[in-house]
Amino acid sequence: MYLTLKELRHEKLKFSALGLIIFLIVFLVLFITGLANGLANDSGSAIKETSAKTFILQKGSESRLNRSELTNKDWNKFENKYHQNAAKLSLSQMTVQKTNEASKKTDIAYMAIDAKGFLNPKVLSDSKLTNADNSKVVVSEKLKSSGYKLGDKFKDSSSGKTFTIAGFTDSKAYSHTPVIYLNQKQWQNLAPQNTNFNAVALKKSINKVSGYQVINKQTLIDAIPGYSAEQGSLYLMIGFLYIISLFVLAVFFYIINLQKLSDFGTLKALGTKTSYLIKHVLSEMGLLSVVSILISFAITYLIELKMPASMPFSLSTPVLLGTGLIFLAITLLSALLSLIKVVKVDPITAIGGNS
Amino acid sequence: MENVLELKNIIKNYPDGQQVNEVLKDISFNVKKGEFAAIVGPSGAGKSTLLTIMGALLTPSSGTVLLNNQDISHLSKKKQTALRLNQIGFIFQNSDLIPYLKISEQLQFIQKLSKKKPVDAKTILDKLGLSHRLNSYPNVLSGGEKQRVAIARAFINQPDLILADEPTASLDSKRGREVVQIIQKTVHEQDKAAVMVTHDERVLDLVDSIWQIEDGKLKQVK
Repeated sequence: MYLTLKELRHEKLKFSALGLIIFLIVFLVLFITGLANGLANDSGSAIKETSAKTFILQKGSESRLNRSELTNKDWNKFENKYHQNAAKLSLSQMTVQKTNEASKKTDIAYMAIDAKGFLNPKVLSDSKLTNADNSKVVVSEKLKSSGYKLGDKFKDSSSGKTFTIAGFTDSKAYSHTPVIYLNQKQWQNLAPQNTNFNAVALKKSINKVSGYQVINKQTLIDAIPGYSAEQGSLYLMIGFLYIISLFVLAVFFYIINLQKLSDFGTLKALGTKTSYLIKHVLSEMGLLSVVSILISFAITYLIELKMPASMPFSLSTPVLLGTGLIFLAITLLSALLSLIKVVKVDPITAIGGNS
Repeated sequence: MENVLELKNIIKNYPDGQQVNEVLKDISFNVKKGEFAAIVGPSGAGKSTLLTIMGALLTPSSGTVLLNNQDISHLSKKKQTALRLNQIGFIFQNSDLIPYLKISEQLQFIQKLSKKKPVDAKTILDKLGLSHRLNSYPNVLSGGEKQRVAIARAFINQPDLILADEPTASLDSKRGREVVQIIQKTVHEQDKAAVMVTHDERVLDLVDSIWQIEDGKLKQVK
């Protein structure tokens, strides 16, 4: 540590530049990770945040809710077997508008559920969805950005039916649209043919029921249109950033240490153990990356505060810390190449004026 | 007087293609406490190789190296390193100070590595006329000043043996002579044994014994 601190103090410019590179890469990775998580939430949080583990769909529906149609006969089978652990789910992507403004429409997703079942979401403000009321619904907080407030009325654009916002959930979304929760009666009021439904949600994990497609929650989310493509390309970028940073840092650090090989030779000749020099190189890289990572945490946090609500961005503490740890590992790994050189340098080089 | 360093029948071979190149041929040498010895010879005669064997940096092909009557010729790398830290002080040709350590820290670092009880580094630097340079980095020092710091670094850990590798090579004759005078004075004051490899004949009047190496053979000339 002694040598490390002295060297960092003396070579401020060189190490600040290296620190800046680490900071920029970590910041970029955090930003893209936040965006990927934000988009994932924006795409499937309405499904992800339920306590359901398994979804039963019509056979051949290819894990897509909108391609699955189940009848009350199917429902009876599952209700008899699983009772409270089963719940009906219908989902439909539609458009709503403010009652007096026909020109301003908002895309939404209706989720029709049984208010007594486990799919009924928690509300942030005011009342939960009930089965008794025909007009009071619970909607996602995301609708607030389209100007909707508690107690506001809105009109279903295709049927013309009007509902009142009785409560807000957190920003639940399906395929980037806010979710409006309806009870079965409200759902049938929208369109008389809505007696069928899309899926049965189960709290239990099961693998197979003959005659149906049985999938787990993640499979259902992956099949949401656009979800896999978005996540796949963002995580590909993140993966490449990790690999690129490993090589960039390895090369930079290798060159920095190459310049110091004669010093390492002298130090060894003077009686410095190789293990001491290894610790010196690793603590130098470790210290530098920890500082850079902490700075990028701070900047990411500040930017998150300033980000508009419409920008999907979400970075949980475990993800933040995880990314930091991966980067610490990457920087230490990148020091490996330099370590080989440091181990190999022969103290004899100090004699004979070769250095 | 007892020998601090004694070399007995040292041979060092290097493979040279199909042949074997014998750099050191049956060399015997000794230096006593309080003695300042010089080894002179043309370049390529094996001066540096001999110094690296004395300094536990290189293992001889055969023969024994006794430091304080202890055979050090076939120690492990780890033990060699510990030996260099605690029992040998090096003065290199280009002083080889660590560029990111201030002058006082050059000595402090060696003291940190060693488990020996530290002596006052400042007094030593004061004695060598470096008191105004304690907080400077090596790059602002003159060649003579750098070499004086290197001398202080070699002596700081109270080693029994000082090895100097052409300490005057990068200095003009006046500064070179000053540096060798300082080594001579310190060796005598502290009763250490010192070996200096040099081809600077103008400083040979300052040493106690002179050895000449030619074609891998060593003989005492003074």
